[in-house]
Amino acid sequence: MSKLDEAWAPYVPSKEQPWNLRRVVHLHRRAGFAAIWQELRRDLTDGPGPSVDRLLKGQARINGVPEDFPKIANLLARSAHDPGRLKAWWIYRMYWGPDPLGERLTLMWHDHFATSNSKVGDLSAMRRQNEIFREHARGPFADLLKAVVHDPALLIWLDAPVNRKGQPNENLGRELMELFTLGVGAYTERDVKEAARVLTGWTVENGAFRYAVIGHDDGEKTLLGHKGRWHGDDLVRILLEHPATSRRLAWRICDLFFGENALAPSSIDALAAALREHQLEIAWAVETVLRSRAFFADANLGDSVLGPVEFVVGLPRALERFEPPPSSLLLAEWAARIGQDLFYPPNVGGWPSGRGWLGTQAIIGRANFAAALVEGKLTGRPSPVDGIALAERHQRGKDLHDLLTFYAELFTGMAPEPAWRERLITALGPTAERNPESVARAIALLMASPEVQLA
Amino acid sequence: MFSRRDFLRTSLQTSTLVALTPTVPSFLAQTARSAPPDRDGRVLVVIQLDGGNDGINTIVPFADPGYAKHRKALRLRTDQLHKIDKEVGFHAAMRDAADLLQAGRLAVVQGVSYPNPSRSHFKSMAIWQTANLNLKSDNDDLETRASFGWIGQALDGGRRPGDGSPDAVYVGTGSLPAALRSRRSQASAMTRPEDALLTLQPNARSMTAGVDTGKDLAAFVQRSTLQAYATSDRMRTLLAAKDQGSRYPATGLAQRLQVIARLLKTCCGTRVFYTSQPTNAYDTHYNQLFTHAQLLGELAGALRAFLDDLARSGLAERVAVLCFSEFGRRVQENGSQGTDHGTAGPVFVAGPSVRAGLVGPTPKLLDLQDGDLKVSIDFRQVYATILEDWLGLPARTALAGDFSRLPIFRS
Repeated sequence: MSKLDEAWAPYVPSKEQPWNLRRVVHLHRRAGFAAIWQELRRDLTDGPGPSVDRLLKGQARINGVPEDFPKIANLLARSAHDPGRLKAWWIYRMYWGPDPLGERLTLMWHDHFATSNSKVGDLSAMRRQNEIFREHARGPFADLLKAVVHDPALLIWLDAPVNRKGQPNENLGRELMELFTLGVGAYTERDVKEAARVLTGWTVENGAFRYAVIGHDDGEKTLLGHKGRWHGDDLVRILLEHPATSRRLAWRICDLFFGENALAPSSIDALAAALREHQLEIAWAVETVLRSRAFFADANLGDSVLGPVEFVVGLPRALERFEPPPSSLLLAEWAARIGQDLFYPPNVGGWPSGRGWLGTQAIIGRANFAAALVEGKLTGRPSPVDGIALAERHQRGKDLHDLLTFYAELFTGMAPEPAWRERLITALGPTAERNPESVARAIALLMASPEVQLA
Repeated sequence: MFSRRDFLRTSLQTSTLVALTPTVPSFLAQTARSAPPDRDGRVLVVIQLDGGNDGINTIVPFADPGYAKHRKALRLRTDQLHKIDKEVGFHAAMRDAADLLQAGRLAVVQGVSYPNPSRSHFKSMAIWQTANLNLKSDNDDLETRASFGWIGQALDGGRRPGDGSPDAVYVGTGSLPAALRSRRSQASAMTRPEDALLTLQPNARSMTAGVDTGKDLAAFVQRSTLQAYATSDRMRTLLAAKDQGSRYPATGLAQRLQVIARLLKTCCGTRVFYTSQPTNAYDTHYNQLFTHAQLLGELAGALRAFLDDLARSGLAERVAVLCFSEFGRRVQENGSQGTDHGTAGPVFVAGPSVRAGLVGPTPKLLDLQDGDLKVSIDFRQVYATILEDWLGLPARTALAGDFSRLPIFRS
């Protein structure tokens, strides 16, 4: 790590950058799906080291992880015979599983190798693709890439089976270079055409990858300056060795953990160079990022827009909705309504993150979700949120003022600024008092606030 | 995908207003009405006539001796048609379309298809939606699913809407049409207008009062939230005002066009809306007369109500409507008072900006090719015209070639 720039040096709490509730909430919102109050207090006490350790190892969750989680998850996966159930399976994993960071990374790869079932039309293929993302989420990028380019869902999505000798289809080759590895500008249109030739012969048969020698264009190709009678695996190798891939990988990982203006391009380059030294090991990069000064710097706090899935999974979880829990089917529907339909990304470029999450319908959807959540409409039997009981369990909320503070701290790590508090009080109206209805409304208004859309 | 500069530009337009007037819904409404109809503000609405519309009984060549020869049970009475000129007239049920044409708001492009037309619903519709004639198979397989849509590809070549809106919206049930499939632009589906309404208590809007002049992103979220709530208010007002003078027939298509009109009135940046009449509705192999009359009546009535509604809201100049079907039908009727799959047919383009009347020669029913109408206009010419003359989007990639444009729009 000697060449790594200052941004990536480990974060050490100081007077200017204290380890406070805000940073704890920040860690869980970026690297997980929000934490419950107990988890926040524990991590505040233990400091950044152990807190990050726990997330990396999938040991961060105190409550809400069923003992037979793997068994239930498998059952849900196998019985997912319609799109809604497949989405609900994944939401179940995110809500109840022990490894929220793993699920965030899986979601990142789903966005990176964005494949939509609208064209694949095969739920079990989509599930198997998802499992590839999960299995290799932290592994060497080479393993992930090799598995993904042989994945039937991806191959169908990008027209591999119709890319044949003499009838090239450039879709797979182009997206492989532009989106999955090198990024725009690191290759030419000529390379795209050659890549299509290289990839001929890769097809899907009976739901599995098959290399059809007959369909392969066996001639010599010149790819990114390399001449040879290349076939698909050679292309993957050449792409992995190209430095642009490490830059795109570094960009992708930083896109997940950093907000708009939080990182200088030179820092991303430095991370890319270090990734090359570490054989593109994703786990190494993720750990480096999560322990870094840059990750916990002021510039990176509250500077990212919470995505739809993070929103619908994180908020009920923070409110400890475990008994009864919200329906995974409904959470998946809401995520779609707010702009992120799992297994159905809008196109191969993935979802429009950041400010792109906040179109009119999405903002309205978030507010409506907040209302439905507190009114108890997401659970099997109607079960409104009792905001007073939850706060009291944690020795908080003796009056309305502290209730607002408690929930703002739970969602953002900070007490509300005077202006925000003012708006809340106004919105609640003069008759608001410390009763379940007013408090529930207050929680909904908080969750719909602009401040809570920022992670 | 979308540069920060674009975001800053659009957000600056509203920032001073937010500082001065915390509640700006009426201002936003005025902005929508006075927006100049420049290229970027123009919208395309596509209505898909699904199943293969019998163009011969839509734009009826009553003076052509071939009509009487080939259509017996299905021959429509000349005196019931709405004449366009000495040769052709609209089906009796299309009075509203005839009125639109007379009022300068409808163009009819005749004899539209493509070389070696396919008679397969699936394949021909896929060709119309992707402008890709190289699809080999007749079945729903990988090959036909392989292409991007003509609209999706064209939108990829343009700018994203500045307000986070999707580039295209499909109104209806079922999956997004292939026409909207793209590499980068965003299409979404809208089935429930309720999704545009805030259920959170009414004075939630006070939650957005005041501006955070601190961090850029926080201010953006603040402004976007304000705009979204204002849009919801507007939508609520529109939904509540049942009789604003906009009278839509109680048909499925009219209801969907009304949803589109409402979306347009709440000023979102979406450029293309897509809807259809029901799947295979026009596939009239048996007892065509009644069904066809219903469908054409629904189409004409909905189209007129939509354009009238937009005209009242000052939005009509920005909108053009395209109506197409995947093929026409056989000239000779079959033995079941119906028609089988054919080739060329008429395409409608509606709106105040069109050059009203007939475009292209009227197909001759005695000058056939293997019993089918000859093709005079390639549909890609219609697409090229719409993309370049109307939407100002590049057509070459979307259509995989250059196609000469047609005099559909007034310059």
